[in-house]
Amino acid sequence: MKNLFIIPLLLFAVVFANGQDTSSVYKKRVLESLELDILTSYFFQDGDNAAVTGGIGTEELTDFTTDIVVSIPLNDDDVLTIDGGISAYTSASSSNLNPFNKSSEAYDEEAEDGNPDGPVTGSPWVASSGSSKGDLWIHATIGYNHSSDNRNNIYSGHISFASEYDYTSFGFGGGYARLFNDKNTELSFKANVYLDKWSPEYPIEIISYINHGENLNAGLFNGVDILDQNGNVIDKNGTKVWSPINTTLVENKNRNTYSLSVGFSQIISKNAQFSVFLDVIQQEGWLANPMQRVYFGDRDNYYIGNPASIPIYTSKDNKDVFQLADDIERLPSSRTKYPLGARFNYYVNQFIVVRTYYRYYYDNWGVNSHTINLEVPIKIGMRFTLYPSYRYYTQTAADYFAPYETALSTSQFYTSDNDLSAFNSNQYGIGVSYTDIFTGFHIGKLGLKNIDFKYNYYQRNTNFNAGFFSLGFKFVVN
Amino acid sequence: MIKKLSMVALITLGSLTSCTVVKEYEMVNLNDPDMRLTSKKSDRFEISYQSYREAASGANGGKSGGGCGCN
Repeated sequence: MKNLFIIPLLLFAVVFANGQDTSSVYKKRVLESLELDILTSYFFQDGDNAAVTGGIGTEELTDFTTDIVVSIPLNDDDVLTIDGGISAYTSASSSNLNPFNKSSEAYDEEAEDGNPDGPVTGSPWVASSGSSKGDLWIHATIGYNHSSDNRNNIYSGHISFASEYDYTSFGFGGGYARLFNDKNTELSFKANVYLDKWSPEYPIEIISYINHGENLNAGLFNGVDILDQNGNVIDKNGTKVWSPINTTLVENKNRNTYSLSVGFSQIISKNAQFSVFLDVIQQEGWLANPMQRVYFGDRDNYYIGNPASIPIYTSKDNKDVFQLADDIERLPSSRTKYPLGARFNYYVNQFIVVRTYYRYYYDNWGVNSHTINLEVPIKIGMRFTLYPSYRYYTQTAADYFAPYETALSTSQFYTSDNDLSAFNSNQYGIGVSYTDIFTGFHIGKLGLKNIDFKYNYYQRNTNFNAGFFSLGFKFVVN
Repeated sequence: MIKKLSMVALITLGSLTSCTVVKEYEMVNLNDPDMRLTSKKSDRFEISYQSYREAASGANGGKSGGGCGCN
């Protein structure tokens, strides 16, 4: 870890050992005119291993996002960028924070004397109508870039804010890039800090149990039968009853991230260039997601709902029984990540460019990963470009990952989040871009310069697939 | 290991910076928008979704762990 910080220092030495660029340079504006980017995306996914329901259950999710980015040239050298957006999602698994067919309000202290009408049921395979079924994520970033007169030194800084119902984030960072060797070589450094905070939401059965003094006749459990593995109603006042293993939930709501990035890019010839970049990311605080359930293999199972569906609990045919959680996921309060990436681009001819990307990643949670991406832009006429692409990704499991019902209560850390499991994925994409450098189409003072459209299909080898569309418009002020 | 990698990186970088220099007027092909060594703005969503759904992130100009409840 400590040695990794030596690399940037040594690279600094290389930069300045190459001497100062003394060539006189024509000073062109960094950004000729105000630019406006309107970017949207639609994402949908489905799978069978929802983390909120302990590694089993529907992962159906949709997300619609719109971002607006305004880049404003303040003078010849300085650019101010304002970037904001909103993301609206619906998630079947998140809705199952409260999977039962009664609203969470029915379980509030004020209402605890009232028995819900009809049998209470739920299922990890059915989206609940609970308030957590959807949310908005908003974000805003203000960035500032300054370039030196010879354009060989670029300084940048930014502040950011993001919020969703259970999470807020404040971030800031800065960077420095130096071009030398007649702008054939670039070395860059970036540092970012995110100071994030949970407003934790918990599985309904756990928070109700804690809020009602561990009383199985109050809150959620008031008037509701609890079933054992054989479908028999348990005696709530007996000794063999359900309880979460841990009644201490999120103690430290902070989740801070510190990252350092070093990048190096080099022109190899008139048609080829590459870059390599290394990030070191340190995260501290509550790194587990308090919404995500864990079921232990070495504890008895308890349910609410239809006893006849217990034998088919892990089948999609289960529409009316839900297993009570043993705990929320628990993960270490520290994580260090080391992603190392490289790009190589080659200009084949006036019609075809080959863009390649590779990343090796490892962290101290035991995850090793490789990512390969290939994109081959094909120009069709003066204004259109096709973007076929392929991406392969593979990762090993985190040390703390255990599938549904296999974690052990004797472990200190555990998660059934399949995003931390071993898997590989293939992603196939096709995009098309329209570019009009003369901005012939206008809306008021805004000239349309570019339209980007892309569709990606993503498939894991673990019954998970997703698709996403993105559409972007770039306008310039004439 | 890290020291060896650092040395290899330094020697490689040192030798690369002494390669034949491509002059600015020769950079027509390199200045093609598709030759940029970064992602397009519209790729930000793709990178964001991947950082939510995969354990690995970073080294791609996108999110690396902060600012969201992602991995």
